Amino acid sequence: MTTQLPAERDVADPGPAPSVPARRVDWRSGLSVRNIGAVYVLVVICVVFSIWAPQTFPRVATIKQVLDNNAITGLAALALIVPLSTRTFDLSFAYVMSLSGVTAAHLIVADNTNIWLAMLAGIGIALVIGVINGFVVVVMRIDSFIGTLATGSLVQAFISFVTGDNTINNVKLAGSFSTLSQGVFGGVIYPVYYVLALAIVLWLFMEYTATGRRLYATGFNPDAARLANIKVRKLRFCSLLTSAAISGFAGVMLASSLSSGDPTAGTSYLLPAFATLFVGATVFKQGRFNAWGTIVAVLMLGTGTVGLGLVAAPLWAADMFTGVVLIAALSANVFQRSSPLRGQAGRARWLPFRYGSPGSGRAPR
Amino acid sequence: MDSAAAGPASETSPPETSPPQTSPPQTSHPEPPPPETPRHPETQRPAETQRSTSAPPEPSEAPPLLKITGVSKTFPGTVALDHVDLEVAPGEIHALVGQNGSGKSTLIKVLAGYHHADPGARAWLNGEPVDLAAPANLSRHHRLRFVHQDLGLFLELGAVDNLALRSEFMVGPLRQIRWKAQAEATRELLARFGLDLDLHRPLAEATPVQRTVVAIAAALVGWQHQGQGQDAPGLLVLDEPTAVLPPHDVARLQELIKNIRDQGTGILYVSHRLDEVFALADRVTVLRGGRVVTTRAVEGLDVQALAELMVGADVDAGYRAVLKPDNERPVVLRARDLRGHFLQGVDIELREGEVLGVAGLPGSGRDELPYALAGSLAGAVGQIELVGQGWLPVRKSASFDIAIVPADRAREAVISEFSVAENLTISVLDRFRRFGWLRRRPERQLTAQWMDAISVKAAGSDALITTLSGGNQQKVMMARCLARDPRVLVLCEPTAGVDVGTRQAIYEFIADRARAGLSLVVSSSDTGDLLAICTRVLVMCNGRVVRELAGRKITEQALLHAMEETEQQV
Repeated sequence: MTTQLPAERDVADPGPAPSVPARRVDWRSGLSVRNIGAVYVLVVICVVFSIWAPQTFPRVATIKQVLDNNAITGLAALALIVPLSTRTFDLSFAYVMSLSGVTAAHLIVADNTNIWLAMLAGIGIALVIGVINGFVVVVMRIDSFIGTLATGSLVQAFISFVTGDNTINNVKLAGSFSTLSQGVFGGVIYPVYYVLALAIVLWLFMEYTATGRRLYATGFNPDAARLANIKVRKLRFCSLLTSAAISGFAGVMLASSLSSGDPTAGTSYLLPAFATLFVGATVFKQGRFNAWGTIVAVLMLGTGTVGLGLVAAPLWAADMFTGVVLIAALSANVFQRSSPLRGQAGRARWLPFRYGSPGSGRAPR
Repeated sequence: MDSAAAGPASETSPPETSPPQTSPPQTSHPEPPPPETPRHPETQRPAETQRSTSAPPEPSEAPPLLKITGVSKTFPGTVALDHVDLEVAPGEIHALVGQNGSGKSTLIKVLAGYHHADPGARAWLNGEPVDLAAPANLSRHHRLRFVHQDLGLFLELGAVDNLALRSEFMVGPLRQIRWKAQAEATRELLARFGLDLDLHRPLAEATPVQRTVVAIAAALVGWQHQGQGQDAPGLLVLDEPTAVLPPHDVARLQELIKNIRDQGTGILYVSHRLDEVFALADRVTVLRGGRVVTTRAVEGLDVQALAELMVGADVDAGYRAVLKPDNERPVVLRARDLRGHFLQGVDIELREGEVLGVAGLPGSGRDELPYALAGSLAGAVGQIELVGQGWLPVRKSASFDIAIVPADRAREAVISEFSVAENLTISVLDRFRRFGWLRRRPERQLTAQWMDAISVKAAGSDALITTLSGGNQQKVMMARCLARDPRVLVLCEPTAGVDVGTRQAIYEFIADRARAGLSLVVSSSDTGDLLAICTRVLVMCNGRVVRELAGRKITEQALLHAMEETEQQV
């Protein structure tokens, strides 16, 4: 909404006095609830379940189960860090996961393609969708939330058209292809290591490269970024390519873990991925989408779900738990951060950025 | 859509619903707003309303509509208003003039309740005391209406919605909106202002003058019944309503404002354009440095005298960088025939070490020119050359070595989630790269150097930028651009929201850079900026450069004069 309201700032008002201390000056602030609230929630969850189910919960097997169950969710969530940092939503990623999985499965079953080639093909077709997303969002300037929802819908239509909504099941998928994500090393399945590797790469990329810094700048204030000579549109386009490529990979892993090409397999990852990302943005790096925060959020929600399974809670308990924890994690953060942000009352507090029409430019005349 | 929304319910409703709220008995008058007598609001009877003559009422006769005494407003470090007294009579157009920073907008905001006045302020509306140190309540709103400079309209919505949102939607028995009646009422209301407009089209598609009229009409909603009951006239505050209007529309708007005045409404009219003060106002109050310089009848004043009242004698004693214009130095930047929304063909030639000022009223193209030069004005056309790098279409000039410090610091410059260091280095990150990695140590060093060079006061380079004062934020924004080591630096409103001390520091800093050979373009609505640092000033009007002043010819009076179109027409 570009509502014209009376200017909120006063030119004569010299703003807040420079009295608030710097961030990260004190190791104690690094351990504050404000900074790592989700870590404390994770600890509390562990303690509660250890008391509740002392026979079954505090065991190595539980850790393995949490890691194994949530590796694909972790991949899906990490896929979105780059575009969301530029405040570009990619809602099509879940459908892209289905697409790349189905593509890889189809190639292996129908053409006896080598599994590595099949995987590359899956990522390749995901990249095609990434280019389409970039075209829709950046070139056609359609709001990313709606634009990628639309392309996602088209992707789902395409999958249904080609597969006839049938899951691709074949013994060929049970062999080396399924090993890609069902193989076990050191007690946990391979995708756990993929998540770890991807998190390290994304952490280094976002934190320690110029491009990462520019991506954050683009998300926080696109106008300022543009005027500081940052190629905002190029970055947003490329960010959609990254999310497409990573979700393509995640989709192939998902198909491998299911040993089948399910035309709707990815859809169930849509909401968990966004939920963990937004929780993750409150951890470690205040207000920035970041890899380790996302991992903590995935573990937090995953541990709770596994714990509820161990105490034989009813089925609805998992969803309720997720909802309660999300609200708790985000609200604790909102209370903590309200003070230094002056004059931003209109902003949705839980969003780590101002969501609106990107690059709205200067005031309308 | 409206027929669907009104639906069957509206067809059943007419018998019991009241007539449209906006049609008082006098609507058969062919003249726009129905007249009322302003003279004696207390004793006034509605039935025998008479058209008042165009002569302004004598202030002594009627009690003042608005009277404020001793209004002060202190911000940390600045006194924005210092014991301001003001009186507006009913049926009077009272102009409020003053330079930027003189306290005009603060005064308006205090009246509107956005700021609370310091203790000691007293105010009366129609003789009833008002507490300016408290939030505005309903009765204050009822007597005192505002049209702010940006009009406060919902541009996505049409006129019907905009007017209804200010008062109330007309609803039927089921609380459903009676769209037809609502539209009819709106049409009637706007017709009185002589406005013919598609009521359902978003206002974004309307012309600026149409929007202004809608905003004024919206502000007056509920006052049409004035005089029918116990209601006394109210006060309408217009804040630079003509700032972005072309001249012929200005005349039309002035007629409309006079009509409103003739109904008995008092009008407090804030304007930069001195000629308007003479065309419209009965009395004028001049503010300077937060104090009232004078309040007097406009009759007997002329533009020159008023300008001198605004400027005062003390202002010229401000800081002067005393840079010498040097026409021997090589030209660095040339631009040909720049055009945009307001720009109507502007040529620029900028020499090395020159500080070129751009002056002009809002809407003159003054605020557009810097963005056009930096290649970030959508829809700009024209050619630009950074000498040695060839000519380019101006929209591609972002590839040139031209840095810009934008006008709206909060919206276009500061990345509020970033630290001071991150804000400062964002445009030079490539310098810290080695094998693709961002090295932190040189980044820290560069930040420390710049924070030292322009003496930024901050808790540290890791402090969030929003913890700094406005002046220090502005310094960081300048450092961000200068760190790029550009050949040309474009500064917009370099001292907006900057306290006096920092202001001088910024001037000195700019002057140093210019002596070192940097070429600058400074666009400012604050003539103080231009006087302090510019070697040459282009005065813009209606999208063109109408006057060029250099060296000693740059004076406050000359600038103000040149900005007024009146002089150009002679």
